[in-house]
Amino acid sequence: MKESNPVLRAVQVLFRDYLVLLMIAVLVAVTAIIEPKFMSPLNLVNIMRQFGPLMMVSLGMTFVIIGGFIDLSVAGIINLVAVVTISLIQPIGQVPALLTGLGIGAACGLLNSAVILSSGALTQAEALFLTFGMSTVFSATALLYSHGSTMHFWDIKTSKSIFETIGAGTLGPVSVSFVIFLAVLFLLWVFQTKTTEGRAISLTGGNKTAARLSGIGISRAIVVIYTICGLMTGLGAIVLFSRITTAAPVIGAGYETNAILSVVVGGTTLKGGKGSVLRTVMGVLLVVLMSNCLNLLGVSTYLQVAVKGAILVLAIWLDNRKQV
Amino acid sequence: METVGSDIILSIKDVSKSFPGVHALDKVSIDFRRGVVHGIVGENGAGKSTLMKILSGVYQKDSGSVVFDGRSIEHTTPYESMQRGLAIIYQELNLVNTMSVGENVFLGRFKEMKGMRGTHANARKLLDSIGCKVSTTKLISELSVSTKQMVEIAKALSFKSKLIIMDEPSSSLTAEEMAELVKIIHQLKAQGLSIIYISHKLDEIFEFCDIVSVMRDGRVIDTKPKSEFTRNELITKMVGRTIENEYPPRPRSVGETLMEVRSINTHKLHDISFTLKKGEILGFVGLVGAGRTEIVRALFGADKVRGHRVLINGKSVAIRNPREAKDAGLGFIPEDRKLQGLVLPFSVESNISMASVANFSRFGFIRKSLERGIGARQVQALSIKTPSTKVPVVNLSGGNQQKCIVGRWLEISPSIFIMDEPTRGIDVGAKYEIYVLMRKIVEEGGAIILISSELPEVLNMSNRVLTIFEGRITGEFEPESTPVDTIMSAALGLRGGAA
Repeated sequence: MKESNPVLRAVQVLFRDYLVLLMIAVLVAVTAIIEPKFMSPLNLVNIMRQFGPLMMVSLGMTFVIIGGFIDLSVAGIINLVAVVTISLIQPIGQVPALLTGLGIGAACGLLNSAVILSSGALTQAEALFLTFGMSTVFSATALLYSHGSTMHFWDIKTSKSIFETIGAGTLGPVSVSFVIFLAVLFLLWVFQTKTTEGRAISLTGGNKTAARLSGIGISRAIVVIYTICGLMTGLGAIVLFSRITTAAPVIGAGYETNAILSVVVGGTTLKGGKGSVLRTVMGVLLVVLMSNCLNLLGVSTYLQVAVKGAILVLAIWLDNRKQV
Repeated sequence: METVGSDIILSIKDVSKSFPGVHALDKVSIDFRRGVVHGIVGENGAGKSTLMKILSGVYQKDSGSVVFDGRSIEHTTPYESMQRGLAIIYQELNLVNTMSVGENVFLGRFKEMKGMRGTHANARKLLDSIGCKVSTTKLISELSVSTKQMVEIAKALSFKSKLIIMDEPSSSLTAEEMAELVKIIHQLKAQGLSIIYISHKLDEIFEFCDIVSVMRDGRVIDTKPKSEFTRNELITKMVGRTIENEYPPRPRSVGETLMEVRSINTHKLHDISFTLKKGEILGFVGLVGAGRTEIVRALFGADKVRGHRVLINGKSVAIRNPREAKDAGLGFIPEDRKLQGLVLPFSVESNISMASVANFSRFGFIRKSLERGIGARQVQALSIKTPSTKVPVVNLSGGNQQKCIVGRWLEISPSIFIMDEPTRGIDVGAKYEIYVLMRKIVEEGGAIILISSELPEVLNMSNRVLTIFEGRITGEFEPESTPVDTIMSAALGLRGGAA
C-alpha cells in the first residue's frame, strides 16, 4: 500500500488535481449525445463569445484569491465602467473612451486596496465585507451617472468600430474577443509565474506575516492584486457591453459569484498562496459550458442557480480534503 | 494473528508510515510488557509522536502489525482505542475548559453513570485512587496544568485502561508537581498497569523507567532495561553521534560598535537604548511578556513605533517596515516558526529564497537557475535534511524548518541577525548545529541579538546580556563573570538598574 503502482498514482493525481478537466470532458460528451445542437458551429462560436467577459473578470479575481483576499466589488465595477465608457464614445471618441473605461476599472481596484490597507483589514473576511461595501458604492455611482437608464449602441452617432470589432469581429476562424483573451492570458501567466512581484503575491497569500517579516512588500502586493482585478474587470465590462451592444447600470449583477466560482472550481485555493490563471481558464470553461448545457436541456434558471451554488460548495469541500 | 506471550500487553511489529517526502516510521518493532514503565526517548522528528498517533488511531499505518492485549488491531479510532483499554495523555491535554472535573472524567458517558450525581461520585473515587484531592465540581479552567494531568489520568482509569501512554507529560510541570506525577506512576504500576512514558528528558527516564527504547529517524535504535544503559550511551544513540558539550565555546570576536539604538518608547517599552558590537552575541534575558520580543519587533520595523533612532556604523537609518530593515542589513528569525516564519505549503526552496528573491531577479523576472542554486547551497551548507528542495517545508522536522529560515537570511548576509527563540521546540542535535552557526556568523563579522526563554542558552552563548523587566532594561552583565542569580534578580526586577 506504501508505494502503489505508478499508473494508479497518476490516475489519483489526475483525479485530484485535474478533476475539472474530467468534468468538462464528461459535460461535453453528455451534452453532445443528448443535444446534437451543442456541437453545432453556431453554438460553439456562441460559447466562445459567452465566456469572454467572465474570463476577464475571473483572471483578475485569480490574483486577488492567490494573494489571500477576495473581491466582491467586481459587479459594481462592471456597472460603472460599462455606463461611463459607452456614454463617452460620442463626446470624446472611441479610443479615449476605451482607455478611460480601463482606467476607471484600475482606479476602482486601487481604491479597494487603499480602503483595505488604510483600515488595516488584513483578513479575507474583512476584505469580503469591505469590497461588498465598495460594490454598492460603485453600483450607485453607475446609477447616479446614468440616471438609471440603459444606453444602446444605436444611440451613438459617431464611429464605434473598435467596440463593434471587440463584440462581433472575427480573426480567421476565431472571434476577436478570443484573441484578446489569449494575449491577456499569456501576459498574466508570465506575470504570475515568472516575476518577483508574482512570487510576492503568492507568498503574501501563503502567509502574510511570514512574507512581511521576510521583507516582502505585502502592501504593494495588495495594491497590485486589486488593481489587476479592477483593470481586468474593466476589460471584462467593455467586452460584455460590446457583445450585447447595450449598457445598463446593472449588467454586472452576478459576476462576483460566478468569477469566484470559476476561480475556485478551477483549483485555486481560497486559502491563498496556491493557484494559477491557467486553472481559472478551466474553471471558467466549466462554468460557461455548464450554463450552456443546462440552457440547451431546458433546465430552469432557478435550478441552475442552485446547481452553481452546490458546485461551489463541492469545490471548497474537495479543496479542504486535499490538505494532508 | 501470532502467538503473543501473556506478559506482553502491546506488540508492535514492522510498523511503517510515510508522509509525502518523509519516512516517519521505518519498520518499527517494540514489545511492551505488562506492569512495566517503558520509556521512549528520541529527538523531535524521531517518530515518537507518529507512533503514538498510529496506536491511538489518529493516523493509519502503511504496513506492519499491532497486537494489543492479544488482539490484532488493524484500523482504529481514538475512541475505540480508549474502550479497548489503551489511553493516551497528550502534551496538549484534551479537556473541556468550561466543564467541571467530574464531567470531564466521564465526558459523553453521563447516562452510564446514571446522571450527574453518579458522575461526580465515580469521578471522586477515581481521583481518590490516585491521591488527587481536587473537587469534582471545579471548572477545568481553574486548575493548574499538573492537576489537569491528574484529571486526564483519572479519565484514562475510568476506561479500565490497561496501558497508559504519556506524551512528554513533564514539559510544563514544576519540580514538586513532577514528584507528584512520579508517585502516581509508581502507584499505577503497582496496580498492574503498563505505562509508556515519552520524553526527551534523560533524568526522568533514569528515575523511574524500567525499560527504555531509543528512537531516531523513524527507527528503533535500541531497546533494553534501563540498568544496561549509561547516560552517554543513551545520548549518543539518540542523536546518532557523540556530543561532548551542549554549547560550543563562547565566541570571542567582539569588535567596535556596530549599532546604536536610542530610546524606543511604546505603551509597553520605556526608554530602551542599547548598543550592539561587531562580532557580538547580545542576549536579552527576561520573563515571557517582559517586552523582549517587542523590542526586536520595534527595531525590525515589524510594529509601528515612532520617535526612536537607530544608528548603524554611526549613520542614522530609518527602519519603518521589515523591508527597510532588510535593506539596512538586518535579518530576523521570529519566535513562532510556523505562524511567522514559514510559508508552510510552499517548497523548501521558495522558503529559503524568500528574503533574497529580489536579489536574483533581472528586470523583475525571477531567475530560476539562481533560485535553485540558492536552495541547493543552503540545504547543503546547513545540512538540512530533506528529500529534495521541492518538497513542502511543512514535511520537515522542526530543526530543519528552522534551518531553512536561517538559510533564508544567510543568503543576504545580514550584518545584524535578530534571533527570537531560535531553538524552541527543536532537538538537541539541531540545537547544537544552530549554536555553531551563530558562532560562525559572529566570527565572520556579523552580530546577533539573541532572545531565549532557556536561561542556560542565553548565558552560555552571549558575550553580554541585557535584563529586561516590565518594558525596561534593568541591567547589563557579562554572563561569563557574573553569578546567575545576580542576572536573574535583575531580570525579575529585584534590583535597581546597573547600566
